[in-house]
Amino acid sequence: MRYNTHYEDRKKTIGHHINLGIFVLLCIVNLTPFVWGLITSLKTEREVLQYPPKFLFFTPSLEHYITIFENNFFHSVLVTLGYSACAIVIGVTFGLMAAYAMKRYNFFGKKALFFAILCGIPLSIGSAAMVIPNYVYFSTVGLIDRWYTLVIINMAYHMPMCTWIIMSGIEGIPIEIEESMALDGASKPYIIFRMIPSLCSPSIASAALFIFIGTWNEYVSASVIVNSNAYRPIQVSIYNYLGFFGREWGPLTAAATAAVLPSLIIFAILGKYLISGLTQGAVKG
Amino acid sequence: MKQKRNIIGNLLSLPAFMLILFVMILPVGYAIYYSLLDCDYMKITGFVGLENYKEFFASDLMMQTLFRTFVLSFCSLIISLLIGLLLALWIHGSKGPFAFALQIVGLIPWVTSMVVAALLWQWILQTDTGLLNYLISRIGLDKIVILNDKRNAFIALTIVMAWRCVGYAMVQILAGLKSIPRDYEEAAEVDGCGKFQVFRYIRMPLLKTPLLLSAIIITLSNFNNLTVPQVLTNGGPGNATRVLSLAMYQEGFQFYRFGFSSTIACIMFVINLLLVISYVKAVKYEV
Repeated sequence: MRYNTHYEDRKKTIGHHINLGIFVLLCIVNLTPFVWGLITSLKTEREVLQYPPKFLFFTPSLEHYITIFENNFFHSVLVTLGYSACAIVIGVTFGLMAAYAMKRYNFFGKKALFFAILCGIPLSIGSAAMVIPNYVYFSTVGLIDRWYTLVIINMAYHMPMCTWIIMSGIEGIPIEIEESMALDGASKPYIIFRMIPSLCSPSIASAALFIFIGTWNEYVSASVIVNSNAYRPIQVSIYNYLGFFGREWGPLTAAATAAVLPSLIIFAILGKYLISGLTQGAVKG
Repeated sequence: MKQKRNIIGNLLSLPAFMLILFVMILPVGYAIYYSLLDCDYMKITGFVGLENYKEFFASDLMMQTLFRTFVLSFCSLIISLLIGLLLALWIHGSKGPFAFALQIVGLIPWVTSMVVAALLWQWILQTDTGLLNYLISRIGLDKIVILNDKRNAFIALTIVMAWRCVGYAMVQILAGLKSIPRDYEEAAEVDGCGKFQVFRYIRMPLLKTPLLLSAIIITLSNFNNLTVPQVLTNGGPGNATRVLSLAMYQEGFQFYRFGFSSTIACIMFVINLLLVISYVKAVKYEV
């Protein structure tokens, strides 16, 4: 008996070591680009191209960050935050309304809308193919290079997913609660815009997070839909730096690090909502 | 319970519907129209019918591009599904914060911007100053030319695209695994199934739907991926990594041939539509 437990203990420790090993490997594979980018961005210009590269004991400097901030980087950050904020507020509101309608009403065209939402989830993943259609259409209706066009596009790309997530959130709310609220004199707008969101706040958070990450990372359509500096979001700025700085990896990695940090922090804090949203989309079938 | 039709439902869902219509449905109609035109520099010079499509299917360059895109999507799909499945099966055993941390780390490539990821990979894969070649030379091997060599550039692109999707596959498959009732596996174990048999006869059949769904999503994402090829290699060297989405973008915004570019967009859209239909079939949802 005693031998047995001893053996089991050893088996457990070995298993534990293997687990830790795979975890470390996964961290290395997934995080190396970002960590290496961060290290490079903090080096001086001379040390960036030094060979063999220094990993830890280099002279830290913020010169590359200063360079990119002199090149309108901060403006792009603000612009992108603005786009995200608009897209989140309006997008989540529209998604909430549509989700509520889908779950609580029967109406003409419900099936069509359901089908559009269901198709829209995979379709918006492949939205890069929409860049030419969108460009052609928006230039015909004259919406190229307006501040609101990117908000509209980002909202629309994430509308199916957003509606879907909120729909499964509303599914978990018993209709009796709503009925008793209505008996107590709550108006319909109050129920939809105040009560439902507070009862399914994880779904709302998850939908908002999807819109934020999508808008923050959106590059393809942003690169053609706006062309003036003032409306340029962050990913397009980084791509332009690639042409502007050429082989100067210092400013490039600085821009990349500065752009990825906010989304990484938000993801680390709110990651569980994103995971639950991602898996809600698919695995019920 | 069959409810009566109510106009409030229409009103509430109108904005969402309008957005989807305006950004995702109407533009496709426009692209179909433009693909039938001869249109350079946004000036329509004539109606050419199916000429653009004929040009596409007659051009060796385009056929190679199409083939290359399929190979790229397929290879990176297999890599990411396989690694994702192994990781998911492995995490499924462990519990608590550890499993959660793994999912978070695994998903990082999927949630970070593709521009940034491709840019940083380009920095790592540089021939003379890159981290990878430094490590290779440290273990005593010769430096390899990566992004300037046709074959290696293609392999690098495949791996970077697979790298991006592993975490997504893992999270989806893990969710699928969690939805398998524990009783099934226990019953099989009581009946004397080994670990592999439990996997082969219990989990695998029940994982079919999540596997299929994540395969479709990853294929869609890879097939339409424009950012990673554009930032990592921009189609080069030569045409070695020029994928269909990149060809579409370049025809449109470098050569200003919007007619032909719309044709490529329509062809991509048809392929996407096939994938979307299989997705909808696989989800098996009812209203």
